[in-house]
Amino acid sequence: MKGIAFDLAVSLIAAVFVCLLTLPIFALFTATSFVELVNQFSSPLVLSAIVISLETSLIVVFLALCLGLPVAYLLATKQFRGKEILDTLVDLPISMPPLVAGLALLILLGGNSKLGGLLNNCGIDLIFSKKGIIIAQLFVSSPFLIKSARGAFESINNNVIDASLTLGASKFYTFKKVLLPLAKNGIYAGMVMTWARALGEFGATSMVAGCIPYKTETMTVAIYHNVMSGELGSSVAIALLLTIFSFTSLLIFKSRIRGQTAVIV
Amino acid sequence: MGILLEKISKNYNGQAVLKNLNLEIVRGEFHVLLGPSGGGKTTTLSVIAGLIRQDRGSVFIGSRNVSRLSPEKRKIGFVFQDYALFPHLSVFDNVAYGLRVKKIKASKISVRVGHYLHKVGMEKERDKFPHELSGGQKQRVALIRALVTEPEVLLLDEPMSNLDALTRETIADELKSIQQEMGMTTVYVTHNQGEAVLLGDRVSVLNHGEIEQIESPDELFCHPKTEFVARFIGAKNILKARVIRINQHEAIAQVNNSGLAKPLKIRVKKYPIFEKGKEINLCIHPEKIILKREDKVVDGNLNQIRGKILDRRNNGRFVKARIAAGGMELHAAIPKNIFDFETNENVWVCFAPDTPHPLCGKRCRATETERRCLKG
Repeated sequence: MKGIAFDLAVSLIAAVFVCLLTLPIFALFTATSFVELVNQFSSPLVLSAIVISLETSLIVVFLALCLGLPVAYLLATKQFRGKEILDTLVDLPISMPPLVAGLALLILLGGNSKLGGLLNNCGIDLIFSKKGIIIAQLFVSSPFLIKSARGAFESINNNVIDASLTLGASKFYTFKKVLLPLAKNGIYAGMVMTWARALGEFGATSMVAGCIPYKTETMTVAIYHNVMSGELGSSVAIALLLTIFSFTSLLIFKSRIRGQTAVIV
Repeated sequence: MGILLEKISKNYNGQAVLKNLNLEIVRGEFHVLLGPSGGGKTTTLSVIAGLIRQDRGSVFIGSRNVSRLSPEKRKIGFVFQDYALFPHLSVFDNVAYGLRVKKIKASKISVRVGHYLHKVGMEKERDKFPHELSGGQKQRVALIRALVTEPEVLLLDEPMSNLDALTRETIADELKSIQQEMGMTTVYVTHNQGEAVLLGDRVSVLNHGEIEQIESPDELFCHPKTEFVARFIGAKNILKARVIRINQHEAIAQVNNSGLAKPLKIRVKKYPIFEKGKEINLCIHPEKIILKREDKVVDGNLNQIRGKILDRRNNGRFVKARIAAGGMELHAAIPKNIFDFETNENVWVCFAPDTPHPLCGKRCRATETERRCLKG
């Protein structure tokens, strides 16, 4: 009897938690009608926010791949002085409040800083621009790719790498032909999580790029801006789209993670 | 190409894994590195391959000093204990990998890979992936993947330890015949004495990063030179003795093993290293021990010690018996068909004077008629 009571209690608590997760999403879906949704998506302001978000987040994924993969490879395969520090630095953006990250980037890249001034003199203006959005999103989301790719590299049998070397392959050839194919699922999963995080970024982005409609207003910034100005309809439409993106990316992530474990035999 | 290791030392976290190791393997030789876990076998192999960089010493493959070369430049083939096949590539692509690295034409790759697949009877599995293969098939693929690039030396790290006995025997035969056909210098790491006897032209026994003995398998198993080697190959009867008299053909040695109730005198074949008063360890193979019933008359030419059978264990064609003899423990391996003793039965433990072999630590030298231990 005690066992049944325990199972019942656990199930009830789980049900409460499931409600906590699903009710807000349900509320979001019931806050608007289909017609209203179609109207909102044909609004130039909403469309602009969607395009800016997709454009910047996809560039961020590409940049995170180029810059993050070497870091993930180093952390997974090499022993070097300062590895712990690098590892902590990679994790830092995940635990750091996005607003703080945004403020730090603003101070570093703003016109009053040396770097910002130098870039301004070269004609590169990062603050209140799409480039600023990309840098802010890259800062907060790239750790997801690095951590996922690192895990994938670490799960590869060292002897397989050594086998490639003893067969005459260079380290680069081994990276290209053995490590990348074997780690691909982990890398894909990291790309998906990075994209989802970049798409949902608000704090750092708004701090660095502001919310200039048609220029730097991303989907999340548009939600906040529209709610503040009382335009709930467009906020709900964008929020629904973001929820669908998140759900889809999570599904892809989970399937890739399953694939990763299946490949490493 | 032969292999020469000169004064190789390697430490891990301040602990010496290889200690000033010297080894010369001649061209075309099948050399077995034999020893227990932690003896330094795999480290030695990895140093030859360049997968581990030695702290001191030099590695030569043929006349090339490869000490500072990375693995991909050493022209070696390496077969790993866990096969280390590329899980994302088919059997064909696994075998072709090294040839593609060398940028050989696709048509030539196809012919050469096909030839090697045929050699080990794996043509039908060419499109399968590693997870679809049995252990024996994986090992065959790993072997031909290492051979197909025609390396100067072939290195194998306990390649059969994950296989069942039958497959192990088949693959050992295939390996030996391929190695002889190609005449490739081969270094094979194992802790299995059976594999060492079956495959090796010469065997090095490694213990704590040092070579205890290098010998042909027959010589190693008949005449171990150190207590460690004797125990490792199963010659567990070690008599710690002092030579007390030397006659024309024989010597009298007094056995002083700890636990002996009183010193025991035995007759031993005279070896040139014997000197009166010299302390020497003598090894007796369990197969050379003869057991006689307590009431039987023993041949006067044999040494005899009164003993009691502690336990007996079937081991294939032999029965292995543990015998308490005057306070020390001796081991006998008697053919099953003639073993007729019970546990706790009193027996005579007998052995001929030429059976105990001195563990002098030096190599035996061949003469025309016999192998003898020489002075110096």
